[in-house]
Amino acid sequence: MLYRQLKSQEIDRLTRQGCSAESWETVLVHEHFTPERIYNIRFQGKVNLGMYTEDLNLPDRGSHPAGLWNSTLKDCTIGDNALIINVQNLYRYEVSHHAVVDTVQSLAVTDETRFGNGTEIEVLNEGGGRELVIYDKLSAQIAYMLVHFRHHDTLMKKLQSLIRDYCTGKTCTTGYVGPYAQVRNCQEIQNMEIGEGAEVQGALLLEDGSLAGCREDPVKIGTGVIAKHFIVQSGSHIQDGVLLDKCFVGQGVRLGKQYSAEGSAFFANCEGFHGEAVSVFGGPYTVTHHKSTLMIAGMFSFYNAGSGTNQSNHMYKLGPLHQGILERGAKTGSLSYMLWPCSVGAFSVVTGKHTGNFDAVDFPFSYITAEEGKSQLTPAMNLFTVGTRRDSEKWPARDRRKDPRTFDQIHFDLFNPRSIGKVLNAISILQDLNEKSRKEQEFISYKGLVIKRLLLRTGIKYYKIAVAIYLGDILMKLLDQVKTGKTLRNLLTEISEDTGDGPEKWYDLAGMLVSETSLNACIDAICRDDANSVEALLAILQKTAANYEKDNLKWWAQVIKKTYGKQVSELKRDQLEQILEDWKKNVLKLNNMILKDAEKEFDPTSRIGYGLDGDESIQKKDFESVRGTYDGNKFVKALRSENDGVEKRFQEMIKILS
Amino acid sequence: MEKKEVQERVKKVVANVLKMDPEEIFEDANFIFDLGADSMQSLELVAAFEEEFDIEMDEDKALSVQTVADAVEFISSYVS
Repeated sequence: MLYRQLKSQEIDRLTRQGCSAESWETVLVHEHFTPERIYNIRFQGKVNLGMYTEDLNLPDRGSHPAGLWNSTLKDCTIGDNALIINVQNLYRYEVSHHAVVDTVQSLAVTDETRFGNGTEIEVLNEGGGRELVIYDKLSAQIAYMLVHFRHHDTLMKKLQSLIRDYCTGKTCTTGYVGPYAQVRNCQEIQNMEIGEGAEVQGALLLEDGSLAGCREDPVKIGTGVIAKHFIVQSGSHIQDGVLLDKCFVGQGVRLGKQYSAEGSAFFANCEGFHGEAVSVFGGPYTVTHHKSTLMIAGMFSFYNAGSGTNQSNHMYKLGPLHQGILERGAKTGSLSYMLWPCSVGAFSVVTGKHTGNFDAVDFPFSYITAEEGKSQLTPAMNLFTVGTRRDSEKWPARDRRKDPRTFDQIHFDLFNPRSIGKVLNAISILQDLNEKSRKEQEFISYKGLVIKRLLLRTGIKYYKIAVAIYLGDILMKLLDQVKTGKTLRNLLTEISEDTGDGPEKWYDLAGMLVSETSLNACIDAICRDDANSVEALLAILQKTAANYEKDNLKWWAQVIKKTYGKQVSELKRDQLEQILEDWKKNVLKLNNMILKDAEKEFDPTSRIGYGLDGDESIQKKDFESVRGTYDGNKFVKALRSENDGVEKRFQEMIKILS
Repeated sequence: MEKKEVQERVKKVVANVLKMDPEEIFEDANFIFDLGADSMQSLELVAAFEEEFDIEMDEDKALSVQTVADAVEFISSYVS
């Protein structure tokens, strides 16, 4: 923008309006500048002013003319139609057009800063060794690689180099308040980059950070927030006395109600209220809502913490260096405790106090309970609980991200090559344990866990339900494609090519499900010279994530090949029909088991505390007026309706097959 | 198999899994409300019945069984 010097009559007018300057010569203005809306301003150093002609809408002032009132500005640029009012110290900032800085003690850049970019946080291992460098374009997948692929020297060097270059490029001595951002009623804001449309209202201290929002999905910072050395991505709200120190907050996150976090990362759609996080890798949808809940030195995703959930990472020996891994969908019950190191399989539930270390990562969909001082695993039990079903349905519906550019790649399928691969492995382990067990044994020991011998076979049976549903689901996806004009034979032949020896291993990179082949290709692409920016990293990951559907089909073909000893293209019609038959039988079975579990929510035990001082009929009426009836429950109705549709869908598929 | 034998063996299994005296187990006792079985014990009961009677029960139907008498009926349908 072209600026001009002030005219003498403009300086006279400004002086009459209570303004003063160290030197009027260093106050430059827009060519159409007029001084009508500049009152009681002290100008210091080099100041550039735009033009102020419009009115702005402020939540607590109503309509207010753009302009400058009652403030001290030093080395600043104030864009067109911005509003600066009652700011004691505005130093080294560029305030964009239509931005508002209203009643702020200090908004300043004190020294060279990178606005939180490049801050190292010690996730998982509080003692260090897995430092995660945070920056405003970090994604859950890049973070996963930085934290977990430390053994891959070339990858680490490349990632660290690109990120270091990006963060160095962020180095600046001037802060930024983006267009339409509003910073109101705050105390101290120092070395901050405040993105487009951000709302910062009542913060106590923001220091060395970025609010990397966008107009479609701005960042909101609310009352009493104190945050240092941090990054917040678009669409996230941090409110009500939250304390953050060295933290990364991804897209669509909600932190509030005095939540406190240190050295932690929260990726897309996480929620943290009341509790505390230290050295946490919070993958997408990590949720903790309750007081006295400490999450420490753990990796979580699609996680829900019960009240009073707690872990220890310190054995009072070499320091706080132990870590815990909870695979996606894990939950911890109220007052559950785990002594790290422990690992919990996907979609499993942990209850009780576990003072021994266990490794349950081989057993997804399980219960891990504390029984007489031992960690007891009930394999596959969480497969047919109503909670697992509800969770898997609610996550995609709760994706809050509105930014056209999403950083974290997320796949939501409950039954996918990663979870079903784990299930197949669990079946094999349980079969092995069962074969080696004696009938007199009550328990079998496995990696710090005990499993009731009787439940080995039960676990196998339940796990097989999940496998049958997965195999049928994929076949039906293919049959759906036949409806669009393709032939099943061609589709199956296409998938059969290059199935290799499989089934290959799959990974869950903090929300992104990826086959080993695609992951290796992704790592190769990152390590190549042409991947030369953090934007290129994001593009590579986006491309990798897009392989999911294709790789899923390939993995399905690999499982079929292993099961039937032939390529899917060689399966006979009766074998394909059998897959569909098994699907139908097992979907109905699983749904009925889930319905049975849901029924418990309406049984006499659930009515305890209802109908106070009344008889049984009052209790029932009170319960039904509050909770409704089993038959009228939305979830139950939906599941029954799904059951009704299973036969129809099956027949439709059989028709296509024939 | 005689129903009486099924009854006795069912009670023996229930007593074993729920760590109770077989004398305390009545025909009309509800596994959850009267005998205090939790969800995991319910699974264990099904597994124990299968082992005791050498049968494979239908999972979702087996979980619908609520009382000792129901269990006897249900198992009888398999062993007869």
